[in-house]
Amino acid sequence: MEEITKTFGLEWPKFIAQCLIFFFVYKVLEKKAFGPIQAMLLTRRERIAEGEANLEKIKKDLAAAETTSQGIVDKANADATRLVAEAKTSAAALSEAERQKASTEAAQIIAKGREATEAEKKSQLTALKQEFGRLVVDATSKVSGKVLSDSDQERINQETAKQVAL
Amino acid sequence: MPSLGIPGLFGSPILGAVDTKASNIFGDFPVTNSIVVAAIVLFLVMKFAKKATTNMTLIPHKAQNFFELVVEFLYTQVEGIVGKRMAPKAFPLIATIFLFVVLSNWLGLVPGVGTIGFGTEVAPLSVKYISDPLLRPATADLNMTLAIAITFMVVWSIIIVRDIGVGGFLKHVFLAPSGLGLGGVMKLIVGGIFLFVGVIEMLSIAARPLSLSLRLFGNIFAGESLLHVMGDLTAKLPFETPWFVDFLGSIAFPIPFYFLEILVGLLQGLVFALLCAVYIQLLGGDHEEGEHH
Repeated sequence: MEEITKTFGLEWPKFIAQCLIFFFVYKVLEKKAFGPIQAMLLTRRERIAEGEANLEKIKKDLAAAETTSQGIVDKANADATRLVAEAKTSAAALSEAERQKASTEAAQIIAKGREATEAEKKSQLTALKQEFGRLVVDATSKVSGKVLSDSDQERINQETAKQVAL
Repeated sequence: MPSLGIPGLFGSPILGAVDTKASNIFGDFPVTNSIVVAAIVLFLVMKFAKKATTNMTLIPHKAQNFFELVVEFLYTQVEGIVGKRMAPKAFPLIATIFLFVVLSNWLGLVPGVGTIGFGTEVAPLSVKYISDPLLRPATADLNMTLAIAITFMVVWSIIIVRDIGVGGFLKHVFLAPSGLGLGGVMKLIVGGIFLFVGVIEMLSIAARPLSLSLRLFGNIFAGESLLHVMGDLTAKLPFETPWFVDFLGSIAFPIPFYFLEILVGLLQGLVFALLCAVYIQLLGGDHEEGEHH
């Protein structure tokens, strides 16, 4: 044993010095290097996990938002289709009502026009008859050479009006 | 009176055989050339660790990034061996062993380590061969490798006792696992066998520091010796060679072995660290129910 320790130079002071050096390295690395580095690695892993979790949440939210927006778009489409159909129906009804109204008004205008024409015709006929009666009275008085009384004139006018059937 | 110099600085270089023991560089004061290298390793590790852990950010800077890479790699290896529960306790020790051993091994390959030292002066700053190198790889000194192994065993004991207690340790080593379903004579026989196996286990545990330290010392010492022999190869030829042939030979022949030694240095660090992890796992790792060693 003594020969072995002598051959390899094993000596307590040197051995203890080496032990202390190694133990010092171990403790310092444990406290000052491995600890902070592992804490940093852990923090990074947590951040990555958190990021992945957020990504999953964002994906889910996005999917939910897409579903919601699709629903809204579908509803809006359905509403729009319904509104267009209603508008078409309403427009057709309105158009028909307007047409009916215009037609009625046109008929009324035509009727009024006819009535007005008829009244004009009548008044002109009356005026014509009166003028003709006056001419007849005038002619009669000139032919007979006498002045006709009012009753004669009235009678002649009525008689003439009866005779002239227009 | 030995003088400081480089062998063959003005002539054929002769490195000479590597001594099996480290030598004092300050006379009788017990500071060896390997302690100096261990102190340099200590300084380098501290320096780099400080640089890597200063101003740490989530987006790592270069030194932090490299250190994180090493730590993550080592942690994965340690966790794979000792299990998730024990990994946080075992990792700092295993990682320190790996970093310290690898750096010590590689520092031995730096030009000047083992090749500058004291010897018989043949010319100014030139010695015939090195009798006491100024620097010696820390792991080429049995004091250092034994110190690492013993420190490991002490910390290992603390970790195991904290984890399963002294009773748990003795029970694990000497008693048959529960659940074997044995009874009567068979229980006695199996109990006796396990007791005997426990004694062998205790002997193997006691031998671990020696096996760990001698393996590392042997490999690194052999590597150092190999490089020296390759450096002196032309000087050992049975015929005289001109000094420049010796000079060129001392450069050319060791080069392939330098690459080998870089690999050996890494592998020895890995072997030492992983064996330590296995030793922790044997008693403190995550075991299946009823598993026993």
